[in-house]
Amino acid sequence: MEEKEKKKHRVKHSGPKAEKKRKRYLNELGIGDEENVRKRNPKAFTVQSAVRMARTFHRTQDLKTKKHHIPVVDRTPLEPPPVVVVVVGPPKVGKSTVIKCLIKNFTRQKLVEIRGPVTIVSGKKRRLTIIECGCDINTMIDLAKVADLVLMLIDASFGFEMETFEFLNICQVHGFPKIMGVLTHLDTFKNNKQLKKTKKKLKHRFWTEVYPGAKLFYLSGMVHGEYQKQEIHNLGRFISVMKFRPLTWQTSHPYVLADRMEELTNPEDVRINPKCDRKISLYGYLRGAHLKNKSQIHMPGVGDFTVSDVSFLPDPCALPEQQKKRSLNEKEKLVYAPLSGVGGIVYDKDAVYIDLGGSHAHEKEEEEVRPNHELVQSLISTHSAIDVKMASSKVSLFMDSRPLGSEDVGQEFVMPKEERQIDLKTGRVRRKALFEEEEKENDDVVSDDEEEAAASEDGSDGDDEDDAEEESDRELLGEKVPVGRAKRLKTELVKEEPVNELPAFADSDDDLEMSSEGEEGKTAPEENEMEEDDDEEEEEEDEQRTYENESSDSELEAASKRVAESKQYEINSEDTEMRPRISDHRLKRKAVLATDSGNCTAEEASESDVENFSLNEGDDEEGSHDELEVEESSRKGFPRTQAKKADGISQAKLKAIEDEDDDVENLLKEEEEYEEKIDFSADTTGALKWKEDLTQKAAQAFLRQQRSTPNLRKLVYGTAAEDEDHESEDAGDELGGLFRVSRPDKASKQKANALDCSKFLIEKPQDWNLEEVMSSIRDCFVTGKWEDDKDAAKLLEEDEELYGDFEDLETGVVHKGKRAAEGDESGSEEEEEEDGKMSKPEPEEEEKKQERLDKKRKLKEMFDAEYDEGDATYFDDLKEEMHKQAQLNRAEFEDQDDETRVQYEGFRPGMYVRIEIENVPCEFVLNFDPHYPIILGGLGNSEGNVGYVQLRLKKHRWYKKILKTRDPLILSLGWRRFQTIPMFYIEDHNGRHRLLKYTPQHMHCGATFWGPITPQGTGFLAVQSVSGTTPDFRIAATGVVLDLDKSITIVKKLKLTGFPFKIFKNTCFIKGMFNSQLEVAKFEGAAIRTVSGIRGQIKKALRAPVGAFRATFEDKLLMSDIVFVRTWYPVSIPTFYNPVTSLLKPAGEKDSWSGMKTTGQLRHERGIKLKQNKDSLYKPIVREKRHFNKLHIPKALQKALPFKNKPKNLEKKGKTPKDQWRPAVIREPHEKKISALLSALSTVNNYKIRKAKVKHREQLKEYLKVKQKEDEQKFKRQKEAKKKIYRILGQREKKRQMSSLKGSSKGEKSM
Amino acid sequence: DFEASFIRLIDKVTNGSRIEINQTGTSLYYQPGLLYGGSLEHECSPSRSIGYYLEGLLCLAPFMKHPLKIVLRGVTNDQVDPSVDVLKATALPLLKKFGIDGESLEIKINRRGMPPNGGGEIVFSCPVRKVLQPIQFTDPGKIKRIRGTAYSVRVSPQMANRMVESARSILNKFLPDIYIYTDHMKGASSGKSPGFGMCLTAETINGTILSAELASNPQGQGAAVLPEELGQNCAKLLLEEVYRGGCVDSTNQSLALLLMTLGQRDVSKVLLGPLSPYTIEFLRHLRSFFQIMFKIETKTPEEEHMGGEKVLMTCVGVGFSNLSKTIR
Repeated sequence: MEEKEKKKHRVKHSGPKAEKKRKRYLNELGIGDEENVRKRNPKAFTVQSAVRMARTFHRTQDLKTKKHHIPVVDRTPLEPPPVVVVVVGPPKVGKSTVIKCLIKNFTRQKLVEIRGPVTIVSGKKRRLTIIECGCDINTMIDLAKVADLVLMLIDASFGFEMETFEFLNICQVHGFPKIMGVLTHLDTFKNNKQLKKTKKKLKHRFWTEVYPGAKLFYLSGMVHGEYQKQEIHNLGRFISVMKFRPLTWQTSHPYVLADRMEELTNPEDVRINPKCDRKISLYGYLRGAHLKNKSQIHMPGVGDFTVSDVSFLPDPCALPEQQKKRSLNEKEKLVYAPLSGVGGIVYDKDAVYIDLGGSHAHEKEEEEVRPNHELVQSLISTHSAIDVKMASSKVSLFMDSRPLGSEDVGQEFVMPKEERQIDLKTGRVRRKALFEEEEKENDDVVSDDEEEAAASEDGSDGDDEDDAEEESDRELLGEKVPVGRAKRLKTELVKEEPVNELPAFADSDDDLEMSSEGEEGKTAPEENEMEEDDDEEEEEEDEQRTYENESSDSELEAASKRVAESKQYEINSEDTEMRPRISDHRLKRKAVLATDSGNCTAEEASESDVENFSLNEGDDEEGSHDELEVEESSRKGFPRTQAKKADGISQAKLKAIEDEDDDVENLLKEEEEYEEKIDFSADTTGALKWKEDLTQKAAQAFLRQQRSTPNLRKLVYGTAAEDEDHESEDAGDELGGLFRVSRPDKASKQKANALDCSKFLIEKPQDWNLEEVMSSIRDCFVTGKWEDDKDAAKLLEEDEELYGDFEDLETGVVHKGKRAAEGDESGSEEEEEEDGKMSKPEPEEEEKKQERLDKKRKLKEMFDAEYDEGDATYFDDLKEEMHKQAQLNRAEFEDQDDETRVQYEGFRPGMYVRIEIENVPCEFVLNFDPHYPIILGGLGNSEGNVGYVQLRLKKHRWYKKILKTRDPLILSLGWRRFQTIPMFYIEDHNGRHRLLKYTPQHMHCGATFWGPITPQGTGFLAVQSVSGTTPDFRIAATGVVLDLDKSITIVKKLKLTGFPFKIFKNTCFIKGMFNSQLEVAKFEGAAIRTVSGIRGQIKKALRAPVGAFRATFEDKLLMSDIVFVRTWYPVSIPTFYNPVTSLLKPAGEKDSWSGMKTTGQLRHERGIKLKQNKDSLYKPIVREKRHFNKLHIPKALQKALPFKNKPKNLEKKGKTPKDQWRPAVIREPHEKKISALLSALSTVNNYKIRKAKVKHREQLKEYLKVKQKEDEQKFKRQKEAKKKIYRILGQREKKRQMSSLKGSSKGEKSM
Repeated sequence: DFEASFIRLIDKVTNGSRIEINQTGTSLYYQPGLLYGGSLEHECSPSRSIGYYLEGLLCLAPFMKHPLKIVLRGVTNDQVDPSVDVLKATALPLLKKFGIDGESLEIKINRRGMPPNGGGEIVFSCPVRKVLQPIQFTDPGKIKRIRGTAYSVRVSPQMANRMVESARSILNKFLPDIYIYTDHMKGASSGKSPGFGMCLTAETINGTILSAELASNPQGQGAAVLPEELGQNCAKLLLEEVYRGGCVDSTNQSLALLLMTLGQRDVSKVLLGPLSPYTIEFLRHLRSFFQIMFKIETKTPEEEHMGGEKVLMTCVGVGFSNLSKTIR
């Protein structure tokens, strides 16, 4: 028993232990190593089969090339916009918790409620915009289009839900962003094994959907309502190091995920008509491509708009500047979420919010510190940059210089707070209420920026106010400033005077710029004012101003010299540059104002302005109040200015200054004139109609114009683009009048008269016979002198020199004497230097070293180039080219400031932009809900048009129904979601597009609809409805755009039927197919067919019954035949295009948009039964038995037939005549008996015989069996016997042979 | 009259465009359609030469739905517009730089027609492209050869030779590699009016082609021109063009700029000679249509013997792609 208990030792065959043993064993044998195997047995590693090797090589190459993507030019900007992280998942899966945890992880701030996108700085080089995506299919579609990274939350305890798959499918269609799965609710599993199993299962399913190896995160349990810190940290790490592949649609279109919306409508308009179209501004990071001003955009869920204005703002969530340190400090971990009310820095060019700290992140909120205090501080030390201010986020600056009443300010404080605190639903209610109240309390307008906008929109009043203030400022500082400049102007003017016939366009324009620059400088005090506007009290502001003025006064007095003063001023201006940026248009407008007002005296201007103001605002209720303010300010301004002047007079030069100032004014006027002149000259150049005496001069002038750069630019684009800005902004503003160059008008005028011809004729050709003229282009020819770096001889020399130097390097000896022979120009120069610096050998040494290094580098480059050329493929070349282009793109405009850059290339992605849009439906504003994303998708040129679009479409395999032609379908294509009526078709072999009534079940088909033009290759998806929730899969079809056209090519079959009314042999007359001769004429020669399949052709129309014709067939028709012709009738596509305006729905109903209903739905709703055509009902087919007539063969034919085929129509036997009838036999009883007996006997006999037969057969069988056996035995015996005999015979034969051999050998021997 | 003809031409190459001209002919409403292309024929009005129509087509042809193959009939060479020869020699290489190439890109002159009656015929065919390549074309290089055509129709063939002689006499001072073809058209291919003229092209080592041309006065208008004089003047014009320089011929400046604008969203650069008034106007149109501004820099050649001042034009393309081209 005990013996049995013991287990036998089992030797390990696998596992590390066995491996070790094996190794040891092998080592003992001395053949242990892997490499040794190769050495030991080289044959095993040689090529076995060349073919197979070739194949494997081929395959690896295939796989390698398959991995390649088509290289694209990397157009990502240097400072990329934040990465859009979309958190998506079914409801109650923990989306907002994840977002909150992530934000907390990155910024150490806790957000209470997430609304709209949240932008955070996640690292030194990356920012994230996190946004939550609800289960509304509209939201899912929109966000899938802008997402860079999708966090797909999956409830592990439940498994995948339809939303997940829907979102995945949406993503697939609109370019596949990176997708990371996150499993939540893992703590609900009690059983560990179950958990593991579920994880694995979900992972594999996820992989099949996304790609094998897609990252799936597991968020196990919750701690205090949050996920575990470490896990979230890991998730954050993954997000912030993720790399993205650019998606085609996203990189080719600009788009903005708006994180803030402001209404700018004039409150008066709203009061008059609460349903009027609104003007709004939206804010967000620009992504994708460059955005141009005035371009078309689409807002999914709202509609198409034209951007009325774009401006870029300083980044509210900027990346840290210095990159030295490893991690971010607390200050740089910014969060920006205006819709959620965090970040606090709510400021822009015409609105200001002071954040009172809705979140506890900003404990530093100082209520006591009045902004004016801040202002003083900033005056004293204006070194603190805006960024710093932003970071501390105490004050946001108010850009508009309109003085604010205290009530206004109060309002302004309330508003954002309100927005922040009240939860979604109540907030909306409040909002509504506010808008309704507007009528009553007119000036307590909702948001101050609205008012601001209104003010600036009103144009005159806002500007006038500006004026009022500017006047004083101008008088204060402005006059003295341009002194130096004016002088310069004068000198330039003097220079120009000798050439006074020539239009001095260029220089004067420059002057203009300068002067405007000067005036820019003047805005310094204005800015101060602007800050003052932040103040709650007007008086304080005034005090401020006086203080400021006094200070400047004292400065003035102290500075006895102009120069000193100007210096001082420069300092000021520098300071102003440090200050927050003023949006450009304001600046310019001010410049305009200043120049304009320069013509009249300050007093006049201000007075007139006030008058204007009163006129404009007269009827307004606020008007009086504001007016008062302005008057006050202006009144205060006057004494000051007067005082100023007095000061000035005491100084010696003031008069002169004023004169000069006047000069400036005059100059300005002159410029105007000059400009016009130039335009005129340009006109004439265009027209080529020169006045004869002017010809030469003008030609010279033209050339002159082209000489200098800025002028050329101005020549082409008018006075830069600034003026246009003016015109657009201050349209109808009398102040813009001065600067209204109105290029287009002139251009058109010029165009009208000219002969448009691209030829550039020369007015005054140079005399090419002269030697010097000839020599001027001598070097343009190959025969001329070459540049140094391209001259062949030089190159050769250089090479030699290089070679020589190389030798030097190898030997490590530097030949001093050789330097002279090096022959390089620089070398010789150095030689000279050397002579000069004999006393200092060290720098020389250094130079030499440098030179050597240079040469080394050059050599290395050469070597690299040579070496790399070997394996450079087409792919690599292409990649290289793209890389070069990308670098060029980056480098080209790098050195320019943003303003000019924007003009050249548009707003580049990564900028924080503010986009103004007009004519937005009021519902958008009224029903605004921050939970729904607002996307501004830029449209390429001609993408705003509508036309016919052809698609390749396939019904989604998970969608349960099939789709019907002419039923409305909601498509998501490009940025848009819209309802349209597609027509399905299939392409026949001959390229015909045949209409289909329904989509095929599992096949692609074509579809055409009338809708927005979208580039080919764009993916789309279709849903039947976006409203409500269905348990089924909602995506009905997917596909791709194939073609765009203005005409349609779909046809449907139309059969025209007719009936023969007269039949000749193969010809017959057919009626009923057409209605007129003309119709017949159109179809002459068309192929026709009968139902029975006889083919024919239409020949010619007949006169008699209208529409009848003659036709020939390949066989004779019957009168009962139906003849038909197959024709193809083009189908018209209903021009129905209805954008899904889901964002306009009231809050809470945003997912209930319903457009046009399908006929099926309508019928179902109304209970209408379709009256079906009786003929198209399916009935059991009753086929009557067909009776054929007897075959009739003509006699002649019968005769000719062979007998076999002759019809054997034997004549019926006639009735046998009576005489041939035989009488029936009637037996006697006796005879009957006999016959019965006989039959019985015979039966017995028969039986006996049969029995005997059977027996005999059996016996025979037996016998045969026995016989067979015997035979077998006999055969065996015989075989045996034969064997014996043969053996004996064989032996005998052998013996005989042996004997004979022996005998022969014996014989030989004997012989 | 020629405008009407041009509108008709545009109508032919497009599909679905709407054109309305009011009774007095003072206002034109044009709703653009889709560029369709295909095989077409057009009778150009003889008041302008074919070059006028061809310039418009050159801008549009790469963006058709189907490759364009069009027969234009009218005046091939006149004094106002760039002649077909010049466009053939300069515009086509320019298109090639933008990636529009292939054997089907060509202009063939079947018949020459001089003003006033015309009677010339050309075939222009152009492939379609989806996107254009950006160009960096800032180094014109040095001129390596001069080619040209001296043509004469319905006049003595000796005229052409006389022109060639005189032109060579001037150009030979600069370059030995000069070859000017003489092209004498006879019979049916000589059009309806007599005339002669010549066009010269200078090709650099970097593939830049500069051109100049002159044509005789049309019959019955102005004084007769001596062929020698014409040849000399034409050669001088070429020298003037060389003096202006740039990578693109002055007639094609606008074409180059347009194609740069319509490129992908990449930076394109081109070096031009002084901008012609037409180009300046064109730049303004580009701004109003595409919201695009060019960065304009003046470049003065470092050495004095390199001709006049140049202008470096830089822009970022608008990312235009040919939407009408069908994909399969």
